[in-house]
Amino acid sequence: MNNDRFADSAWHRLSGYFWGILTPLICTLIDWPLQPILGEASILMTYLLGVFLVARYYGRGASITASLISAPAFAFYFASPIFSFAITDIENIIGLIVMMVVANLTSNLLDRSQSQAELARQRENRSNALYKLSLALADASTQNEVARVAVEQINQEFTADSQLWFLDQQGSLLPTTHPLPASAADLAHQLARDQAKFESDGVSYYPFRYAQATRAVIAIRFSYPLQADPALPAFLDTFRTLIAQTLERLYLAEQARKALLQVETEALRNALLSAISHDLRTPLTRINGAAATLLEAGAAISEDEKQELGKAILDEAQRMSDLTSKILDMARLSSGEITLHQDWNAIEEIVGSALTRLDSSLQDRPVRTQLSEQLPLVWLDAVLMQQVLVNLIENAIKYTPAGSPIDISAEIAGEQIQLTVTDYGAGIPPGMEEQLFEKFFRLQTETQQNGVGLGLALCRAIVKAHGGTIHAGNVAGKGAGFTIQLPVHVPPALDLAAMGDGR
Amino acid sequence: MNDDKGLVLIIEDDPQTRRFLKSSLSHQGWRIIEAEDGKTGLDKVKNEHPDLVILDLGLPDMDGLSVTKKLRHLSELPILILSARSQEQNKIMALDAGADDYLTKPFGSGELNSRLQALLRRVSKSLNNSEIFETGQLKVDRVLRKVHIAGNEVRITPIEYRLLSILIRHAGLVVTHRELLKEVWSIEHINDQHYLRIYMGQLRHKLEVNPARPKYLLTEIGVGYRLAIL
Repeated sequence: MNNDRFADSAWHRLSGYFWGILTPLICTLIDWPLQPILGEASILMTYLLGVFLVARYYGRGASITASLISAPAFAFYFASPIFSFAITDIENIIGLIVMMVVANLTSNLLDRSQSQAELARQRENRSNALYKLSLALADASTQNEVARVAVEQINQEFTADSQLWFLDQQGSLLPTTHPLPASAADLAHQLARDQAKFESDGVSYYPFRYAQATRAVIAIRFSYPLQADPALPAFLDTFRTLIAQTLERLYLAEQARKALLQVETEALRNALLSAISHDLRTPLTRINGAAATLLEAGAAISEDEKQELGKAILDEAQRMSDLTSKILDMARLSSGEITLHQDWNAIEEIVGSALTRLDSSLQDRPVRTQLSEQLPLVWLDAVLMQQVLVNLIENAIKYTPAGSPIDISAEIAGEQIQLTVTDYGAGIPPGMEEQLFEKFFRLQTETQQNGVGLGLALCRAIVKAHGGTIHAGNVAGKGAGFTIQLPVHVPPALDLAAMGDGR
Repeated sequence: MNDDKGLVLIIEDDPQTRRFLKSSLSHQGWRIIEAEDGKTGLDKVKNEHPDLVILDLGLPDMDGLSVTKKLRHLSELPILILSARSQEQNKIMALDAGADDYLTKPFGSGELNSRLQALLRRVSKSLNNSEIFETGQLKVDRVLRKVHIAGNEVRITPIEYRLLSILIRHAGLVVTHRELLKEVWSIEHINDQHYLRIYMGQLRHKLEVNPARPKYLLTEIGVGYRLAIL
């Protein structure tokens, strides 16, 4: 199928003729000194053997050459009268005819079996190629990867240069690789409209039709005419079908994902709207009221009352600010807009900074931290992971009596870093452990809690983005416990020379 | 009523925020001049020589980073960045470009006031450059290079001391990761945050009663570190 193979077979044919000429000469040289011992029939047999061997290895052309040279050589040197091409003995004449027939038959058989072997080899090559293609396609997870695989495999199997374009929704072409002339894009574009295969300037264009439309076009420039081998066009068709099927599968999966995302976005938007209308308006009402009282009542209210109103405004504004940032974070996380800024971080530092941030709301609650000395640095986004801890600790503050302790611990558990926040409150109602992490889920308790129910959903989204897990449960003798598990990464070694600390 | 603390230039495009800043700062004894965009701000720095600049990152005409760079080009005056939560990256870039500290909106006026005072202190070098630095139980003798906590001497390594002394030089203000890495190690290690984590951890274990709830060596998550003034 490629040039090397053509060169090989030409060389093979040439050496066939060479041996076809040489073999009878060798036979003559061997038989000449043996002439007194051997009979004419035996000598004829050696020629027959030579012709047979040539037929076996080099096929018809060579063996006929060998027999055509063997006949006169035998007639001249061995058949009586010797040194004359005339043959008088009827046996020798029959022998020579048999030799010609054997040469022909053997080489015929050989040719047939060789061409069958060649066919089988080609079939095997092609099924291997198809197998390789289907494996590579199965690995491809995006349309662009499929395009890359398709172009690579077609280039390799057909010794071609090719290029694949996707038609986006407007029908324009998205190039993927680039060995073809610029005009190819225009032609591919034309094909997208006409939707039938065509050839131009040595480049063949084929459409990929799937999901009821022509969605991609491939242009292939073969290095030899495709018709050279009658099996090739069918082989190429199989290739194209396989590629089209993979593209269709990915296309449909993508469509399904988009549809699902749209449903989820819609649900999130509705939930956000209701959250905003309820949870933001409540503090707004209070701020309004307090500010109006301050302005209108003015001198009529005492200094203490003014202080109280001012504090109410501040608290409610703070709460609104927290809410809006949670809502925004959730929206950004849900839309996949947040990218992790990961670096090496110390758990102790993240715990510490979360506690510093919550200093005023913790007041004098005892916080007991138990962080293993063996904790390695962790590869994570410190800002987001701090937010996870802040949300968990805020929850503990919200749902447990004032002054009750909060435990924070971190340790290595197998291949994971395990971080837990445990409180001493009423715990989680059985069966709610997973629902807690759903967006806008809120526990109904006697005390009125203010939250949108996004804190834990955010925690889960962030931890998941780090390849970790977060679960809730009750801890015997304590209250609710939240456990985060994060994968351990091996931090880079310290360059001690650069540390320059003489230790 | 209050003694004059200094002249503050507020570069901020939102008139409401300007009004709030102006009223709360003037109550605390600061004199205020205002600019509503970057260009006016730069002009006012040239002409009116403020002691401090409060710079909003979301200006209509120039981004915070280029205002910071131009300001630094003009003078050494302290710059306090005001940023929204969505401007994390810009904030760090502005700090690395020479801004001295930041506040994330929304913030209280008390917080703002203490940041401004810390900024002025750095400039006047009264506290941060004296021979003895003292805050809370922490006492650092900068001539003898000795560190005491609650009256007891603490042995710290040269690197730890270098880290601590940079934080002291900027006491009360944030110092970014890159700045610390550059000054303590070298410019080649500017992205090796793990060095910083390890040494800061060691320093905390020596200076803090509870390293998981530090009083002095505070982490500004995602930005850098701050030595608290108690």
